Amino acid sequence: MSRSLLVISRQAPWSGPSAREALDVVLAGGAFDLPIGLLFLDDGVFQLATAQDAKALQQKDVTANLQALSLFGIDEVFACSHSLAERGLSPPDNAQPLSSEQISQMIDRYDQVMTL
Amino acid sequence: MKFAIALFSAAHAPSSRRALQFAQAALAGGHEVVRLFFYQDGVYSASNSVVTPQDEQDIAQQWRAFVSEHQLDGVVCIAAALRRGVLNNEEASRYQRSAVNIDAPWALSGLGQLHDAIQDADRLICFGGP
Amino acid sequence: MSTLHVLSHSPFTDSRLGSCLRLCGAQDAVLLCGDATYALQAGSAPFQALQAKALDVFVLAEDAQARGLSLPDWAKSVDYPGFVQLSIDHDKVNTWL
Repeated sequence: MSRSLLVISRQAPWSGPSAREALDVVLAGGAFDLPIGLLFLDDGVFQLATAQDAKALQQKDVTANLQALSLFGIDEVFACSHSLAERGLSPPDNAQPLSSEQISQMIDRYDQVMTL
Repeated sequence: MKFAIALFSAAHAPSSRRALQFAQAALAGGHEVVRLFFYQDGVYSASNSVVTPQDEQDIAQQWRAFVSEHQLDGVVCIAAALRRGVLNNEEASRYQRSAVNIDAPWALSGLGQLHDAIQDADRLICFGGP
Repeated sequence: MSTLHVLSHSPFTDSRLGSCLRLCGAQDAVLLCGDATYALQAGSAPFQALQAKALDVFVLAEDAQARGLSLPDWAKSVDYPGFVQLSIDHDKVNTWL
Protein backbone atom coordinates (compact mmCIF):
# COMPACT_ATOMS: atom_id res chain seq x y z
CA MET A 1 0.00 0.00 0.00
CA SER A 2 1.39 3.37 -0.97
CA ARG A 3 1.35 6.11 1.64
CA SER A 4 -1.05 8.92 0.84
CA LEU A 5 -0.05 12.57 0.81
CA LEU A 6 -2.29 15.61 1.18
CA VAL A 7 -0.80 18.77 -0.31
CA ILE A 8 -2.32 21.97 1.06
CA SER A 9 -1.70 24.88 -1.28
CA ARG A 10 -2.23 28.26 0.37
CA GLN A 11 -0.40 30.68 -1.93
CA ALA A 12 -2.01 32.99 -4.46
CA PRO A 13 -1.17 32.10 -8.07
CA TRP A 14 0.69 35.27 -9.08
CA SER A 15 2.99 35.77 -6.08
CA GLY A 16 6.03 33.90 -7.40
CA PRO A 17 6.74 30.24 -8.14
CA SER A 18 5.29 28.93 -4.88
CA ALA A 19 1.83 27.94 -6.15
CA ARG A 20 3.31 26.32 -9.25
CA GLU A 21 5.90 24.44 -7.20
CA ALA A 22 3.16 23.14 -4.88
CA LEU A 23 1.27 21.91 -7.92
CA ASP A 24 4.45 20.30 -9.26
CA VAL A 25 4.66 18.19 -6.09
CA VAL A 26 1.10 17.01 -6.72
CA LEU A 27 1.64 16.27 -10.43
CA ALA A 28 4.90 14.41 -9.74
CA GLY A 29 3.08 12.23 -7.20
CA GLY A 30 0.32 11.58 -9.73
CA ALA A 31 2.89 10.62 -12.36
CA PHE A 32 4.14 7.92 -9.96
CA ASP A 33 0.57 6.72 -9.38
CA LEU A 34 0.66 7.71 -5.72
CA PRO A 35 -2.48 8.56 -3.76
CA ILE A 36 -2.33 12.36 -3.61
CA GLY A 37 -4.94 14.85 -2.46
CA LEU A 38 -4.88 18.59 -3.09
CA LEU A 39 -6.58 21.17 -0.90
CA PHE A 40 -6.72 24.88 -1.65
CA LEU A 41 -6.69 26.90 1.55
CA ASP A 42 -6.38 30.60 2.45
CA ASP A 43 -5.05 32.59 -0.56
CA GLY A 44 -4.60 29.27 -2.39
CA VAL A 45 -8.29 29.41 -3.35
CA PHE A 46 -7.45 32.35 -5.65
CA GLN A 47 -5.88 29.72 -7.92
CA LEU A 48 -9.43 28.55 -8.62
CA ALA A 49 -10.81 31.96 -9.59
CA THR A 50 -12.28 32.21 -13.07
CA ALA A 51 -11.28 34.71 -15.78
CA GLN A 52 -7.61 34.86 -14.82
CA ASP A 53 -5.25 36.01 -17.54
CA ALA A 54 -1.67 34.81 -17.20
CA LYS A 55 -0.67 36.70 -20.36
CA ALA A 56 -1.20 40.03 -18.59
CA LEU A 57 1.91 39.21 -16.53
CA GLN A 58 3.72 37.27 -19.29
CA GLN A 59 3.35 34.15 -17.15
CA LYS A 60 2.54 30.57 -17.89
CA ASP A 61 -1.05 29.67 -17.09
CA VAL A 62 -1.28 27.85 -13.75
CA THR A 63 -4.96 27.12 -14.35
CA ALA A 64 -3.93 24.98 -17.37
CA ASN A 65 -1.91 22.85 -14.94
CA LEU A 66 -4.99 22.53 -12.73
CA GLN A 67 -6.84 21.05 -15.68
CA ALA A 68 -4.02 18.51 -16.06
CA LEU A 69 -4.70 17.11 -12.56
CA SER A 70 -7.22 14.52 -13.72
CA LEU A 71 -4.86 13.43 -16.52
CA PHE A 72 -2.34 12.66 -13.78
CA GLY A 73 -4.93 10.66 -11.84
CA ILE A 74 -5.46 13.35 -9.20
CA ASP A 75 -9.18 13.26 -8.45
CA GLU A 76 -9.12 14.36 -4.83
CA VAL A 77 -9.19 18.14 -5.27
CA PHE A 78 -10.77 20.24 -2.54
CA ALA A 79 -11.23 23.87 -1.57
CA CYS A 80 -11.81 25.33 1.88
CA SER A 81 -15.33 26.79 2.03
CA HIS A 82 -14.30 29.24 4.74
CA SER A 83 -11.41 30.58 2.63
CA LEU A 84 -13.69 30.90 -0.42
CA ALA A 85 -16.40 32.76 1.50
CA GLU A 86 -13.87 35.02 3.21
CA ARG A 87 -12.64 36.11 -0.23
CA GLY A 88 -16.06 36.46 -1.82
CA LEU A 89 -15.49 33.55 -4.21
CA SER A 90 -18.24 31.20 -5.37
CA PRO A 91 -17.76 27.45 -4.97
CA PRO A 92 -15.54 26.41 -7.94
CA ASP A 93 -16.36 23.79 -10.58
CA ASN A 94 -12.98 22.12 -10.36
CA ALA A 95 -12.63 21.54 -6.60
CA GLN A 96 -14.99 20.17 -3.98
CA PRO A 97 -15.73 22.70 -1.19
CA LEU A 98 -15.20 21.38 2.34
CA SER A 99 -16.07 22.82 5.74
CA SER A 100 -13.38 23.26 8.39
CA GLU A 101 -14.73 20.18 10.17
CA GLN A 102 -14.52 18.10 6.98
CA ILE A 103 -10.97 19.33 6.32
CA SER A 104 -9.94 18.37 9.84
CA GLN A 105 -11.28 14.83 9.26
CA MET A 106 -9.62 14.67 5.85
CA ILE A 107 -6.19 15.56 7.27
CA ASP A 108 -6.68 12.60 9.62
CA ARG A 109 -7.30 10.25 6.68
CA TYR A 110 -4.05 10.99 4.86
CA ASP A 111 -0.76 9.45 5.94
CA GLN A 112 1.30 12.61 5.44
CA VAL A 113 0.52 16.25 4.87
CA MET A 114 2.52 19.09 3.34
CA THR A 115 1.30 22.70 3.62
CA LEU A 116 2.96 24.98 1.09
CA MET B 1 11.81 5.67 13.28
CA LYS B 2 12.60 6.70 9.70
CA PHE B 3 12.40 10.42 8.89
CA ALA B 4 12.22 12.15 5.53
CA ILE B 5 13.20 15.78 6.01
CA ALA B 6 12.23 18.43 3.46
CA LEU B 7 13.67 21.94 3.64
CA PHE B 8 12.13 24.94 1.88
CA SER B 9 14.29 27.85 3.06
CA ALA B 10 17.73 29.35 2.47
CA ALA B 11 20.65 28.91 4.87
CA HIS B 12 20.12 32.39 6.35
CA ALA B 13 16.54 31.56 7.44
CA PRO B 14 16.13 30.38 11.05
CA SER B 15 14.14 27.40 9.74
CA SER B 16 17.20 26.04 7.90
CA ARG B 17 19.15 25.91 11.16
CA ARG B 18 16.08 24.44 12.88
CA ALA B 19 15.92 21.63 10.30
CA LEU B 20 19.61 20.90 10.82
CA GLN B 21 19.19 20.80 14.61
CA PHE B 22 16.19 18.48 14.22
CA ALA B 23 18.11 16.15 11.89
CA GLN B 24 21.06 16.06 14.30
CA ALA B 25 18.75 15.30 17.23
CA ALA B 26 17.01 12.55 15.25
CA LEU B 27 20.30 10.79 14.49
CA ALA B 28 21.53 11.29 18.06
CA GLY B 29 18.31 9.65 19.25
CA GLY B 30 19.06 6.55 17.20
CA HIS B 31 16.64 7.35 14.39
CA GLU B 32 17.27 7.23 10.67
CA VAL B 33 17.09 10.09 8.16
CA VAL B 34 16.21 8.33 4.91
CA ARG B 35 16.68 11.43 2.79
CA LEU B 36 17.04 15.20 2.95
CA PHE B 37 15.16 16.89 0.14
CA PHE B 38 15.74 20.60 -0.50
CA TYR B 39 12.95 22.28 -2.47
CA GLN B 40 11.93 25.85 -3.37
CA ASP B 41 14.30 28.29 -1.58
CA GLY B 42 15.74 25.30 0.29
CA VAL B 43 18.10 24.86 -2.67
CA TYR B 44 20.05 27.89 -1.35
CA SER B 45 20.82 25.94 1.84
CA ALA B 46 22.95 23.62 -0.31
CA SER B 47 24.85 26.41 -2.06
CA ASN B 48 28.61 26.43 -1.53
CA SER B 49 28.79 30.12 -2.52
CA VAL B 50 27.43 31.37 0.79
CA VAL B 51 29.91 33.56 2.68
CA THR B 52 28.89 34.39 6.25
CA PRO B 53 30.61 36.96 8.47
CA GLN B 54 33.19 35.32 10.74
CA ASP B 55 31.13 35.86 13.90
CA GLU B 56 28.01 34.24 12.41
CA GLN B 57 27.12 30.60 11.91
CA ASP B 58 27.69 29.19 8.42
CA ILE B 59 24.61 26.98 8.18
CA ALA B 60 25.20 25.95 4.55
CA GLN B 61 28.66 24.73 5.54
CA GLN B 62 27.22 22.96 8.60
CA TRP B 63 24.69 21.19 6.36
CA ARG B 64 27.50 20.03 4.06
CA ALA B 65 29.57 18.76 6.99
CA PHE B 66 26.56 17.02 8.54
CA VAL B 67 25.55 15.25 5.33
CA SER B 68 29.15 14.20 4.61
CA GLU B 69 29.85 13.00 8.13
CA HIS B 70 26.76 10.81 8.31
CA GLN B 71 26.81 9.88 4.61
CA LEU B 72 23.21 10.97 4.24
CA ASP B 73 21.25 11.05 1.01
CA GLY B 74 21.09 14.80 0.30
CA VAL B 75 18.95 15.64 -2.72
CA VAL B 76 18.36 19.12 -4.13
CA CYS B 77 15.42 19.56 -6.51
CA ILE B 78 16.91 20.19 -9.93
CA ALA B 79 14.05 22.30 -11.31
CA ALA B 80 13.94 24.54 -8.22
CA ALA B 81 17.74 24.83 -8.26
CA LEU B 82 17.99 25.78 -11.95
CA ARG B 83 15.30 28.45 -11.51
CA ARG B 84 17.31 29.96 -8.63
CA GLY B 85 20.77 29.72 -10.21
CA VAL B 86 22.06 26.91 -8.00
CA LEU B 87 24.01 24.77 -10.46
CA ASN B 88 26.41 21.86 -10.29
CA ASN B 89 29.20 21.39 -12.78
CA GLU B 90 27.09 19.36 -15.17
CA GLU B 91 24.18 21.84 -15.28
CA ALA B 92 26.49 24.87 -15.52
CA SER B 93 28.13 23.44 -18.63
CA ARG B 94 24.78 22.28 -20.05
CA TYR B 95 23.35 25.81 -19.80
CA GLN B 96 26.69 27.60 -20.34
CA ARG B 97 26.73 29.39 -16.99
CA SER B 98 30.00 30.52 -15.40
CA ALA B 99 29.21 29.78 -11.74
CA VAL B 100 29.13 26.34 -10.17
CA ASN B 101 27.80 26.58 -6.62
CA ILE B 102 26.76 23.09 -5.64
CA ASP B 103 28.73 19.87 -5.50
CA ALA B 104 29.17 16.76 -3.34
CA PRO B 105 27.68 15.66 -0.99
CA TRP B 106 24.57 17.08 -2.69
CA ALA B 107 22.90 15.49 -5.70
CA LEU B 108 20.54 17.32 -8.06
CA SER B 109 17.48 15.25 -8.88
CA GLY B 110 13.73 15.43 -9.44
CA LEU B 111 10.61 15.56 -7.30
CA GLY B 112 10.28 11.80 -7.63
CA GLN B 113 13.00 11.60 -4.99
CA LEU B 114 10.77 13.50 -2.56
CA HIS B 115 7.87 11.11 -3.13
CA ASP B 116 10.18 8.13 -2.91
CA ALA B 117 11.43 9.37 0.48
CA ILE B 118 7.85 9.94 1.71
CA GLN B 119 7.02 6.35 0.77
CA ASP B 120 10.10 5.05 2.55
CA ALA B 121 9.81 7.09 5.76
CA ASP B 122 7.55 6.82 8.82
CA ARG B 123 7.37 10.60 9.06
CA LEU B 124 7.73 13.49 6.65
CA ILE B 125 8.97 16.61 8.43
CA CYS B 126 9.06 19.90 6.53
CA PHE B 127 10.94 23.05 7.51
CA GLY B 128 10.62 26.44 5.88
CA GLY B 129 9.56 30.04 6.25
CA PRO B 130 11.14 32.13 8.98
CA MET C 1 -5.29 10.08 14.61
CA SER C 2 -3.37 13.12 15.70
CA THR C 3 -1.38 15.78 13.89
CA LEU C 4 1.41 17.95 15.25
CA HIS C 5 1.04 21.39 13.65
CA VAL C 6 4.31 23.33 13.48
CA LEU C 7 4.20 27.11 13.09
CA SER C 8 7.04 29.61 12.72
CA HIS C 9 5.41 32.83 11.43
CA SER C 10 4.45 35.67 13.75
CA PRO C 11 0.70 35.48 14.45
CA PHE C 12 0.55 39.28 14.37
CA THR C 13 1.39 39.57 10.67
CA ASP C 14 0.16 36.29 9.29
CA SER C 15 -3.00 34.17 9.06
CA ARG C 16 -1.43 30.73 9.57
CA LEU C 17 -2.19 30.39 13.29
CA GLY C 18 -5.83 31.36 12.72
CA SER C 19 -6.27 28.82 9.91
CA CYS C 20 -4.44 26.17 11.92
CA LEU C 21 -6.67 26.62 14.97
CA ARG C 22 -9.75 26.48 12.74
CA LEU C 23 -8.67 23.12 11.27
CA CYS C 24 -7.18 21.56 14.42
CA GLY C 25 -8.73 18.33 15.57
CA ALA C 26 -9.31 17.51 19.25
CA GLN C 27 -6.28 15.17 19.33
CA ASP C 28 -3.95 17.61 17.60
CA ALA C 29 -1.12 19.62 19.11
CA VAL C 30 0.65 22.81 18.14
CA LEU C 31 4.40 23.42 18.29
CA LEU C 32 5.37 27.08 18.17
CA CYS C 33 8.85 27.94 16.97
CA GLY C 34 10.56 31.03 15.57
CA ASP C 35 8.36 34.12 15.55
CA ALA C 36 5.25 31.97 16.12
CA THR C 37 6.32 31.87 19.78
CA TYR C 38 5.17 35.49 20.02
CA ALA C 39 1.68 33.97 20.21
CA LEU C 40 2.54 33.34 23.87
CA GLN C 41 2.75 37.08 24.56
CA ALA C 42 0.38 37.34 27.54
CA GLY C 43 -2.79 39.32 26.99
CA SER C 44 -2.56 39.26 23.19
CA ALA C 45 -5.32 38.00 20.89
CA PRO C 46 -3.28 34.98 19.66
CA PHE C 47 -2.54 34.08 23.31
CA GLN C 48 -6.26 34.11 24.10
CA ALA C 49 -7.12 32.14 20.94
CA LEU C 50 -4.61 29.44 21.83
CA GLN C 51 -5.78 29.29 25.44
CA ALA C 52 -9.44 29.09 24.42
CA LYS C 53 -8.78 26.18 22.04
CA ALA C 54 -7.49 24.07 24.94
CA LEU C 55 -5.22 21.84 22.89
CA ASP C 56 -1.68 20.71 23.67
CA VAL C 57 0.63 23.65 23.05
CA PHE C 58 4.39 23.14 22.83
CA VAL C 59 7.06 25.74 22.30
CA LEU C 60 10.65 25.33 21.13
CA ALA C 61 12.66 26.32 24.21
CA GLU C 62 15.46 28.17 22.41
CA ASP C 63 13.03 30.43 20.55
CA ALA C 64 11.06 31.37 23.67
CA GLN C 65 14.29 31.98 25.57
CA ALA C 66 15.81 34.10 22.79
CA ARG C 67 12.72 36.30 22.79
CA GLY C 68 12.55 36.61 26.58
CA LEU C 69 9.04 35.15 26.69
CA SER C 70 7.62 33.87 29.94
CA LEU C 71 5.51 30.81 29.32
CA PRO C 72 1.99 30.21 30.62
CA ASP C 73 1.48 26.94 32.50
CA TRP C 74 -0.50 25.49 29.57
CA ALA C 75 2.48 25.69 27.18
CA LYS C 76 5.19 23.04 27.48
CA SER C 77 8.74 23.84 26.51
CA VAL C 78 10.68 21.30 24.38
CA ASP C 79 14.26 21.05 23.15
CA TYR C 80 15.22 19.35 19.86
CA PRO C 81 15.16 15.78 21.25
CA GLY C 82 11.69 16.74 22.58
CA PHE C 83 10.70 17.98 19.11
CA VAL C 84 11.81 14.66 17.61
CA GLN C 85 9.80 12.80 20.25
CA LEU C 86 6.68 14.92 19.53
CA SER C 87 6.94 14.05 15.84
CA ILE C 88 6.95 10.37 16.82
CA ASP C 89 4.13 10.69 19.36
CA HIS C 90 1.84 12.16 16.69
CA ASP C 91 0.79 10.32 13.55
CA LYS C 92 1.96 13.08 11.25
CA VAL C 93 3.55 16.50 11.26
CA ASN C 94 1.99 19.41 9.39
CA THR C 95 4.40 22.30 9.08
CA TRP C 96 2.71 25.51 7.97
CA LEU C 97 5.48 26.59 5.58
